[in-house]
Amino acid sequence: MAVPTVQRRTATPASKLSLLLQQLNSSLGRPVIAVVLALLVGGIIIMVTTAGSILDRISATLAAYQYLFLGSFGNMQSISYTLVVATALIFTGLAVSTAYRAGLFNIGAAGQLTVGAITAGTIGLRFTEWPGWLLIPTMIIASALAGALYGGIVGFLKAWRGAHEVVTCIMLNWIAFYVADALVDGPFKAPNLSQQTLPLPPQATLPSVSNFYNQTLGTFLPQIPTPTVYTVDVSIFLALLALVIYWFITARTTFGYELRVIGQNVRAARYAGIPVKLNIIYAMALAGAFAGLAGSLRLMGQAPNQLIATSFALDSTGFDAIGVALLGRTTAPGVLISALLFGGLTQAGPNMQLFAHIPADLIYIMQALVLFSITIEFMPLIQRSGWFSRSRKEPLVPNIIGKTAPETIDDPAISIAEIGINGLNDGPGGDKPAATPSRQEE
Amino acid sequence: MFFQILFHVLTSSDLWQATLQFGALLLLPALGGVISERSGVVNIAMEGMMLTGAYVGVMSALATHNVLLGVLGAIIAGGLMALIHAIVSINFKADQTVSGIAINIAALGLTNYLLTIQTQGQGVPSLSGGLRLPLITWGPLAQIPFLGPVLFQQNIIFYVAILLVVGMHFLLFRTNIGLRIRAVGEQPQAADTAGVNVRLVRYLCVVSSGLLSGLAGAFLSLGIAGIFNPNMTAGRGFIALAAMIFGKYTPFGTAGACILFGLGEALSPRLQDTGISANILSTLPYVLTLIALVGLVGRTTAPAADGIPYEPASD
Repeated sequence: MAVPTVQRRTATPASKLSLLLQQLNSSLGRPVIAVVLALLVGGIIIMVTTAGSILDRISATLAAYQYLFLGSFGNMQSISYTLVVATALIFTGLAVSTAYRAGLFNIGAAGQLTVGAITAGTIGLRFTEWPGWLLIPTMIIASALAGALYGGIVGFLKAWRGAHEVVTCIMLNWIAFYVADALVDGPFKAPNLSQQTLPLPPQATLPSVSNFYNQTLGTFLPQIPTPTVYTVDVSIFLALLALVIYWFITARTTFGYELRVIGQNVRAARYAGIPVKLNIIYAMALAGAFAGLAGSLRLMGQAPNQLIATSFALDSTGFDAIGVALLGRTTAPGVLISALLFGGLTQAGPNMQLFAHIPADLIYIMQALVLFSITIEFMPLIQRSGWFSRSRKEPLVPNIIGKTAPETIDDPAISIAEIGINGLNDGPGGDKPAATPSRQEE
Repeated sequence: MFFQILFHVLTSSDLWQATLQFGALLLLPALGGVISERSGVVNIAMEGMMLTGAYVGVMSALATHNVLLGVLGAIIAGGLMALIHAIVSINFKADQTVSGIAINIAALGLTNYLLTIQTQGQGVPSLSGGLRLPLITWGPLAQIPFLGPVLFQQNIIFYVAILLVVGMHFLLFRTNIGLRIRAVGEQPQAADTAGVNVRLVRYLCVVSSGLLSGLAGAFLSLGIAGIFNPNMTAGRGFIALAAMIFGKYTPFGTAGACILFGLGEALSPRLQDTGISANILSTLPYVLTLIALVGLVGRTTAPAADGIPYEPASD
């Protein structure tokens, strides 16, 4: 009881199992709870908003989830669609994760993705005569660099001026959307088409996995009979490679370690001599590179392989990525699993709307629920009593002798209060502190 | 040629009327942001609260055939969304940015979901004149050339917004309550010691931000547009957020930033004749914000305890 926390942790030898359980709980438990909770509340919403008897409502809910599952993982074709969505989500999820490791909230993945797609598109549409072996790598690398630059701006402004990354990200997102629209509807516009470009030249498009298989392994192994049905393209392999690279960077390099320190305690990082500002810029640049790849690879891999105006502002991939990263706890395997989950949900929503007549927008509500339950700290809440009760007063002096503090101390140290409040008198005068600390609003 | 058009546009009362209208639309959620962040709770959920307000406003106006009940519904809906944010970030100590994003996503999903269910996918019809928020014309004052249409022929909510700016400034910097709000946002520990109920203050401030954003939603759907369209706020809540930071978390500064952004929004469709792409012109407010952030107006400092869940001095 009276022992300080440090000793408490090491003293009990029987804690090995409980420690393991704790680890499992923190790494797996919460995401699972989050998903289950989202499904439950989503089911309640369906039941509330559908008509009929209670049995009808239950069957409507079950039907909705059935079509959600069938549409995402029900057969090879839907799995292939899910993988398409998941590919972009893996890249953008990594973009959010990389920044999150450094304590930065990258909601600019959407803009970085846009910049990546526009850059790749520009090169593909400009150098139509280049051979594929040159064009494809150029487009991919250029999109990563463009994304890195765009993300780097955020990091630079954060490091240099302390500009909040959320605000700069939002601004840069909209700038990217509008500039993309201006380009697609302006200089890049295909003649006779409205608000879209020509498709990329054929040598700049990525083959689908099934076609690729049929042309390589399929020459001596059994062929995939209807390769055009399965739309997933080879960029899924690049996404898996990106996951490995991300894992390596975060787990096996000094840079990854430094990011983690910065994310957990900037001050400690500074004292340890870690170049915080530089690392913040690098982290955002790396994040931007991942997001930029999401944009270019989708453009190159998925028909119609052309840029379409207004599509970027309406595309939710960059924002879904936040859920992917948080649900995956910013680890490589976690991002993979949650990208598959979110990809499946996003992809199967229209299926649910078509067959179960439940609006596909339910997916957004469930995503929000996942975010809420991931970020909420349940445990302290359960331990605490009384939500609206006055915060329990305990002595400000560290309590070493044990929990003998009285329930409430209603007379706060007035001198401390005055120092605290007086320090705030920066308003244009007239705002004198209350003479006695009172509780008028109660 | 370009400057001719620009001069013509800039001197037309039409432009400035639209500027002030869009400015007021941004101002309401931005003021909500000011009061929420002043109390130490980061609020990037104004977008979602506005959207919810816009939807519930139209729906309740249609259901009750009364525009005032529509506005009331919108305000309450915005407040309820804010209450979720308050519970999640004050009691559950969630990451306030994540919670804000979740609210935005939830609002988008909920409004679209309910719109599809309630109207069988048809969407709501355009509102008739009686269900819209009225334009106020100040009798002879409205006849003054230029100033008349700009200042004295605006939607009723515009005048509400002006009152709110002044009221918010007075509240924050001239009253005890305002002092407490700022204390809670800067030094919750000290405020708590002085007997201020940190949680209660934060709850009230966050919910107020929702009420204001809900009102802005009603202004958008019942006043300006006269219809509800999916995702009709189109990022205005985020621009309001930028305006708040640009305005250094003060009501008057925020109002100035809102007028600037309102000008950006009003200007871009009117400069089409110059041959500059409307898309490029639309980036103006965002570029301006970035420049502002980089330091034309000096460094903005958020309230010291902004975004940090309050831990009572125990343990």
